[in-house]
Amino acid sequence: MEKVLVQNKMYAAPGEYTAADLLAVAAAREVNNDEVVFAGTGLPVLAVMLAAQTTAPDCKVIYEAGTIGSRSTSLPSSVGDPRCVEGCSIASGLLDVFDQLQRGRVDLAFLGGAEIDQYGNVNTTVVGDYLNPDMRFPGSGGNNDINSLAKRTVFIMVQEKRRFKEEVDYLTSPGWRVRQWPSGEWMHRRQAYGKKFLGGPSAVISNMAVYRFDEETGKMYVDTLHPGITEEILQENTGFTLDFSRCRGETLPPTHEELDILYGVVDPEGIFLPKK
Amino acid sequence: MQDKRCSLKEAVQMIQDGSMITFSGFTIWRRPMAAIYEMLRQGKRNLHLIEVNSGTHTEMLIGAGAVSIWESCWNGHELYGKVPYCMDRKMKSGEIIVEDYSHQHILYRMQAGAAGVPYLPTWASRGTDILNPEYDMLGKAGLRDGKNPHIPFQKFGYAPDPFYDEGEIILVPAARPDVCIIHAQQVGEEGTVRVMGQTFSDEQAAKAADKVIVIAEEIVPESYLREDPDRNLLPSYMVDAIVEVPWGAHPTGMYGCYDVDGAFINDFATASKTESGTQDWLDEWVYGVGSHEEYLDKLNVSRLMNLRTNSFYKYSTRAKRGSN
Repeated sequence: MEKVLVQNKMYAAPGEYTAADLLAVAAAREVNNDEVVFAGTGLPVLAVMLAAQTTAPDCKVIYEAGTIGSRSTSLPSSVGDPRCVEGCSIASGLLDVFDQLQRGRVDLAFLGGAEIDQYGNVNTTVVGDYLNPDMRFPGSGGNNDINSLAKRTVFIMVQEKRRFKEEVDYLTSPGWRVRQWPSGEWMHRRQAYGKKFLGGPSAVISNMAVYRFDEETGKMYVDTLHPGITEEILQENTGFTLDFSRCRGETLPPTHEELDILYGVVDPEGIFLPKK
Repeated sequence: MQDKRCSLKEAVQMIQDGSMITFSGFTIWRRPMAAIYEMLRQGKRNLHLIEVNSGTHTEMLIGAGAVSIWESCWNGHELYGKVPYCMDRKMKSGEIIVEDYSHQHILYRMQAGAAGVPYLPTWASRGTDILNPEYDMLGKAGLRDGKNPHIPFQKFGYAPDPFYDEGEIILVPAARPDVCIIHAQQVGEEGTVRVMGQTFSDEQAAKAADKVIVIAEEIVPESYLREDPDRNLLPSYMVDAIVEVPWGAHPTGMYGCYDVDGAFINDFATASKTESGTQDWLDEWVYGVGSHEEYLDKLNVSRLMNLRTNSFYKYSTRAKRGSN
């Protein structure tokens, strides 16, 4: 197994990029050319716009509020933004795009979350007991639907011990091992979704590492560590025992070209990426 | 033919306390804000909101104590404030019942209402706590007894697929709001509605509701809208009241008219962190102004001109957005 991923001088050195830059770049590299990609507000938009400018020029982007195939020249600050309409092939609405999602048309989706567990279950709803919460967050939005019905999902999250938990406080969005209601029994996602099984979470990209999932056990494992992060640092910032057995080495940093595109073309206004 | 044109005040007077209400738009885009402010000035109470997703307008209604039930899936201010502080506070104090669904669920609930069927099936959310029967909050409050025609007997239902043997599918109950308030770019003199840009879930929301109030940037001749009927969203007979209110969606943004006023939303989101901050903000911007015209005067012309969209791009090329 290749222990160290290939690096050369086209890659930026530590100090030449931020954690957010690396997140956006690592996320963009998950997009295969020609895929139909469903994106929510924030870093996902940044990632798909970067992918469209680099490795996946033929990807088709669907924004959750109802635009298809946008060719925005100005970064949308949210998926309801008129900037999503620029150059798109269809401007419709949520019913159109959520129908397409359920129909199985979506290859890849990017999502965020407040908490994640080792099976890729995500909470975006409350911290604490749902019936007596410590703090209310925005809620599911499309997170649940997208993670239920896209073929692959990638989570982009901030790594903290309280966010990477043994068990999430509220299961907003389904991972690989889920609770089947009304009984509440835990089961593998494949069993819960039966004939409607389309796939599931394929990666988690944090500001410290890239994780992937073993589809059989449903468990997350460490794929690459971001430059400067050790196994010890990562474990200290995680609420469950990490599996490093399949770690391939360091995450490739952004290239100078990717950084130029991010700051010069994708987000020159500094909406998600303030100037360093 | 009955003239549907009226003042904002008259249109909002059509809304009864205790009504189930829904709105046009998406998060911080094309929300009927002038109508929201007027609802607060008129002291509407005990509202039951059902929304595909909520936003700044919802937080204002909740913060002002106008809402007793919220059924939706998301509430926040996007980039300008990620935590719904008003909802958090009122939830903890027990003043509001919060019923969580997902986008697809509420969307299909609206579509069922629009199509005149009692429910629709969906696969979304299998395996999640949205389906946890312990978290049926309207049920826990004893409100699923059939006495309120807007509250179904169950939060979800389940049925085996009788046609293709695909297993047990989730059923979501139709949403049947009393009133839908739409803010659109244009409405005809008789009520034909034209929405430009993304239509979000406006069509389902309006068609599910018993009454539709349309606030528009401009009222135009019906004959003009009939030149391009493929660009229209709703026929006139679905619309009960029409009101012309330029800039009526501020501080939310509107395709082809004006951008989101992010600084304004951020000010509200910051103020909403405390009960007293929320009340002070509402006193200044809602109760302290007598009308939408006074509100616009208070905002001032240069602020609005910065938000005005470029007619080619359909967004503002002057509004300062990021930090660079």
